[in-house]
Parts: sequence; C-alpha cells; structure tokens
Amino acid sequence: MNLFSPFTLPYMQRALLEVLVLGALAGAVGVLVVLRRLAFVGDALTHTVFPGIVIAHLLGRSLLAGALAFGVLTAVLLTTLGSHRRVGDDAALAILLTAFFSIGVVLISRTRGFTADLSVFLFGRVLAVDRTDLAQTLVVAAVAALVLGLLHKELVLRAFDPEATAAMGYRTHVLDLVLNLLIALVVVAAVEAVGTVLVIALIVVPAAAARLLTDRVAAMTVLACLLGAAGGWLGLAVSFEVSVDHDLRLAAGATIVVVLVGLFLAAAAVSPLRRRLAR
Amino acid sequence: MEPDLVLVLRRATVAYERDPVVEGVDGEVVDGQSVALIGPNGAGKSTLIRAILGLVSLTSGTIEVLGRPPPAARRQVAYVPQADTLDPEFPVSALQVVLMGRYPRVGWLRRPGAADRQAAQRALAEVGLAERAPARFGTLSGGQRQRVLLARAIAQEPRLLLLDEPFNGVDALSQDLLLAALGRLRAAGAAVVMATHDLGLAHLACDEVCLLNRHQIGFGPIGTTLTPELLRATYGGQALQLRGDGVIVARP
Amino acid sequence: MSFFDAFGDSFARRALLEAVMVGGLCGAVGVHVLLRRLPFFTMALGHATFPGVVLAALAGISLFAGAAAFGAVIVVVVALLGSRERVDDTSAVGVTLSGAFALGVLLLSAQAGFSRDLTAYLVGSIITVGPGDLVTTAVVGAAVLAVLAALHKELVLGAFDRGGLAALGYPVLALDVVLLLVIEATVVTSIPAVGTILAVALIVAPAATARLWTERLRATTALAATLGALSGVIGLLISLQWRVAAGATIVLVAAAQFSVSLVVAPRHGLLARARTTSAAPGPTPAG
Repeated sequence: MNLFSPFTLPYMQRALLEVLVLGALAGAVGVLVVLRRLAFVGDALTHTVFPGIVIAHLLGRSLLAGALAFGVLTAVLLTTLGSHRRVGDDAALAILLTAFFSIGVVLISRTRGFTADLSVFLFGRVLAVDRTDLAQTLVVAAVAALVLGLLHKELVLRAFDPEATAAMGYRTHVLDLVLNLLIALVVVAAVEAVGTVLVIALIVVPAAAARLLTDRVAAMTVLACLLGAAGGWLGLAVSFEVSVDHDLRLAAGATIVVVLVGLFLAAAAVSPLRRRLAR
Repeated sequence: MEPDLVLVLRRATVAYERDPVVEGVDGEVVDGQSVALIGPNGAGKSTLIRAILGLVSLTSGTIEVLGRPPPAARRQVAYVPQADTLDPEFPVSALQVVLMGRYPRVGWLRRPGAADRQAAQRALAEVGLAERAPARFGTLSGGQRQRVLLARAIAQEPRLLLLDEPFNGVDALSQDLLLAALGRLRAAGAAVVMATHDLGLAHLACDEVCLLNRHQIGFGPIGTTLTPELLRATYGGQALQLRGDGVIVARP
Repeated sequence: MSFFDAFGDSFARRALLEAVMVGGLCGAVGVHVLLRRLPFFTMALGHATFPGVVLAALAGISLFAGAAAFGAVIVVVVALLGSRERVDDTSAVGVTLSGAFALGVLLLSAQAGFSRDLTAYLVGSIITVGPGDLVTTAVVGAAVLAVLAALHKELVLGAFDRGGLAALGYPVLALDVVLLLVIEATVVTSIPAVGTILAVALIVAPAATARLWTERLRATTALAATLGALSGVIGLLISLQWRVAAGATIVLVAAAQFSVSLVVAPRHGLLARARTTSAAPGPTPAG
C-alpha cells in the first residue's frame, strides 16, 4: 500500500492540505479541550452549528457563514449557561445542543431529499473540497492559530487553576468565551470535511493520545498537532488505496477517525511502558 | 473481662508499583479504645484507613477487623469522610444522609423502615441536629455537615469507627458536639481510629496514638508515645521544641 | 382540529402511545442521569450504538437488537477506558463515541449500493411505529423502572457519596454497570420515537426541568416522568399538524419546558435569583 501515490491527484492534494491543516489545528485546540474536560462542549458545538448550515443551505448562502453564526451564538450561550450551578453544565449543554440540532432537523424535514441532505451534513465530504473551501479553511485556521498563540499561557493557566487565574486579575469568563469561540472555529472549519458527528474526534482523540504520552503541555500540544495531521494523511491514503485496490469504498472522513482512534489505542498501550522506563 | 480485639495490624504495608505508601504498621485496638493516626500530609494516613476498610489491598502484612479480613467486616465498620468532598447541591436531606448508614441493615431491595428512621433521628439528636433533619444537606454549615456524617456512622451502630480529619474547618461548637458524641460511642464499646494532624484534639479524643510518616514511628498510649522526640521523628524538621516539654508542629 | 381528531388514524394512536411511554420512561431515568452527571455519556451512547445498528441492518436482524447489543459493549469499553489513569472520563467517552460512530459510517460506506434509510434511526420516525415496537417499549420500560425502584437507595447513595457506598461494602463497579445498562436500554428504546442523536434531550430535559421546581427526589421523578410524557404528546400533536419531523419537535417541546422553567421557577429560576440578590437585607444571623 503506497501512502504517497494517492496524492498525485489534484483533488487528493486539496483534501490532504485540508486535513493536515485541520488535523494540526484541531489537535492544538484539542489539548485545551482535553485538559479542561470540555469534550462535551466540543460535541455540543458540532450539533449546534447544524441548524446554521441548514439555514444557509436553504437560503443559498455560504455554509461556512451559517455555521460560523451559530457557532458564535453557541459559544456565547455556553459561556453564560456554564455558571448556573443548579442545573449543572452537562445537562444544560445536552439540552441546548439537541434543541439546536432539532431545529435543523425540523427545517430540513420540510424539504424534499430529507435523507440525502442530512447524510451529507452528518458525515462530510472531504474529497469534494474545492479551492474556495480550502481557502476558507486556511483563513479560519490562521485566525484560530493566531488567537491560540497569543493567549496560550492564559488559557493553560485557566485550565489548570481557575482560582489562581481569577486571583491574578484575569477575567475567567472572557477566557472561557475565547476558548469556546476557538472550539467553534475549529468545528466550523472541519464540518464540511468530516461532518458534524466526526469533528469531535479530530478535536479530542489526538490530544487525548498525546496526554498519554507526556506530562508537559508544550510537548502535548506538539504531539497532538502531529498526531492530528498524521491521522489525516494516513486516513486519506488508506481510504483511497483500499477503495482503488480492493474495491471497497471506505468513507474518507470515517477512515481518518478510525486511524486516529488506532493511534490513541497505540498510545494507551505504550504509555505504561513509558512510565516504567522513566523510573 | 477481656476487652475484644477490634482491629489488629501486623506489619501492614501498602505499595503502589514498588513505592511503599505506608509500611510496617503494627498494633492492636480493643473495644472502647481510640487511636489517633498522626503524621504530616502524605504520611499515608488516608491510605491506611482505606486499607482497614478493605478498599485497598495490602502488599504485605495483615489487617484483621473483628478477627476477619477487612472486606468481610464492613457492616461493622463505619467511615466518616470529610464533608467537603460531597456535592452541596445534591437533593438529600440531613435525615436521608443519616439513613444511609442503616443500609447494611436494611439490605438490598428494601426501604428503610420506621425503626431505621427512629435510629436515624436519635443519631441526629446525638450530634445536636435533631431539628435540622429535613433540611437539605448542602444548606448546613461545614461543621454541621461533618456532624451529620458522624450521625450517619452512629446510625450504623458500628464496632469500629474510622474518621478522616474530622475536625478540619469545623467550628468550635461542632467540635465539642463531635467530641461528646465520640465519647459516648466509645463508652458504648466502639473502637475509634481517627486520622488527624491536630495534636490538641488528639489528646482530648484519643487514648492511643499511631505516629506515621510513611512508616510507623510509634504506636502506643498517648502519654508515652506522643513525645517531643517521636514527634520530631514524625514531622522531621517541621517540629520545633519549645522550652523543654512542648512541641509545636510548624507545618502539619 | 380537535385533540382527538388528530389521533384518529391507527398510526397516530400508536405514535401517541409510544410517545407517552417513551417520554415517561426517559423522564424517570433522566433523574439518575443528572444525579450521576451522565448527560454526556448518554449522548455518546446514542452515537456509539450506530455501528450496532449498521451491523444489524446488514445481517438482517432487528435494528433494536443490534443497537442494544453494541450499546452493552460500549458501556463496558467506556467503563474500562475511564478507569485507567490519565484517561479522564470525558475523554474516554469522546474517544469511544467518535471511534464507534466512525466505524459505523465505514461499515455503511463499504456497502456499495446499500440504501437502507438510516436517518430514521438517527432522528426518529415515530409515525412508523408498529404494534411490535409498542410491546418492546412497554416491556423494556417496565423492566427498567423495576430495576430503578429496586436499587433506588443504592443508586442515590452512589451518586451522592461513592466512597461511602464502597465503605458500606456495596459492589460499586457492578452498580455502575447496572445503571449504565439501564441508560443504554432507555436510549435504545427511545430510538423509534426520537432517534439516537436526540434521545439524550428527552432523557435529560424533563428531569432537569423537574429539578428546577422541587428539591425532593420522589417528587422530581414523578414530575420528570409527567413532563416527559407531556413533551411526547404535545410534540407529536404539533408535528402532525405542521407536518414536520416528530422526534425533533418532541425534543423542542421538552427544551422549551426547560428554558421557561429556567427563567420562572420559584427559588431556582433566573428571575427568582435576581430578586433575592437585589433584595438582600442586612448581615445574616449566624447559622
């Protein structure tokens, strides 16, 4: 199986660039998500951008814009809801995200082609990425990377010790909002490629794997980016080769996720060995 | 009449992956006796308590509770954790928390009955919180919550009571009530093992002491074992001698 | 259109019955989901049963059975993964959720020409519920409620004070697995009504609403079940009237109940809180 030959084709090259960028970006943001145990938030966002995409689709506008609008709205709502102790973060999130998703479903159900449309939104079409999509992804990635770079140490501090963060004079709510917006950006960028349901994998899995391999945040971030990008490349290559050589059509997005989970399991296997060696 | 052996430890050692967390604990506790587990943070007090509860296995040595291995004796052993580990928003009343101590008697599939409710009510009265029975657990103060947890243990009618830092952050009134209730439990024959770093309270509440700093430094009557010399061995450089007899622990 | 006219057709009456049963069951189970802080897990479970459904569809056996069996596997995997050091519960669930769902998508895509409509599985299709589904729902529902009633005090203690449960000698891990399996059974049973992605809302929202109105567990459970059933009925009615997806509408009704309660509930609602903080008297007496 040749892991490089698929990428002589232009559409595969675009897909590769898309997943490399997304994989690295999602990995970096994912570190914060994993440290803050925010996987649920990430998942919530993948559901809440759905109605945005549907509305944009029905209005004939840019899907990215629709997703972005709802992503930002969600990030704001999440930040404000997170402080209502009685209900608990998770419950409010679950209700919020399914309500939003339901709005999307209700809207779609009024149109024809209900099933097909829903599938595309849910599972993505990375192989159909064109230059505009790629350009949009790169812009979003650049913005997110910039914000992440500028605020990294504050975000890490907030993840580790919210009380100290507040005591030092940082507005933790603002930091939370920033992180939620970052996650929203990543979700929005990745949704067309791998679909709403699989985006969460890109965010959580590489970072969780990196966590198993190192105790230091800097190393964890680098590893997560590498693993994310590697998963993207391997997933694309494998799905292509298998489809061509063995006549077995494997959805590209799903293959990427399965590869990432495989890398995670490998990390999980290696992790206790590493610790014993470190003694 | 010979007092019964409630707890016997013989060279008990707990280790996680080759690092001993607490080792060489050796001693006996009989009916009505009260032992303070004293040592700095990280000395292994909580681990030892978990080992006595059978929640953690020994790497070597033995522990016997009422002549049996710890998991077999759990019905007779009551555990009082620190109250701040529990969620204050949880929808349970003080009485309902105390009733939880009756579950081993109630058994699977059944609900606590009238007799259990009375026992719970009595236990709450023992700690001076009878009139707060219907209040939600989280609305009580820290000291009151700690008293409710002791009442839960009392309702269990145990032979052995294990407490983990029961006086941490507890107001003076609650402290007095806790001490009084513990005293009554001991008079009724229960043995008490309490992890604490409060030397003054150890003197008030206990007659024996076990000094721990990952290994046992001493186990015996409080008068002869809680000496400046042994305390210094326990706390290392953090214990200062004060004019001959008194010892101050700089950092518990 | 009068209320009963809307349910004149037999499919509508079956749908109504299913909505009431599923809504009530989800509400009751939801109380425990909240006490143990398991909404994320519940959502992940819905996603993770997807490969089981695909496999069942391919093998030609009942989708329900496939989802149930696979869900049980997922429960075990999550419990094992989450108990390892360095993998916190949330990440374990996230990894399992995405891995399993991707597997399902892969299996689906590998089947060239496979055209079975699986969106009904994802977002529900209550109007196609048959008598067999009704029986399954009733039986599973009764079993789940019986288990919850039998283990009520242990489950509540475990949610409140896990260490205390262990100290009293209860098998904590076994009780965990029982609860997770109960949740799984509930999610799978809700599939015909609201589908797997939306099931979590019907489980969590009525219970979350109930908790805003009452402090006592018994009352919370009764209220949650009632609200769940009510969401089912009202949602179904609206969806029949406006010809939109029923499952999603039911969920929106449940979410609306929650949102309204969040604002107006006495004592715990946002308005009530605003009133108490602005009306602060003087220093409070010592407690």
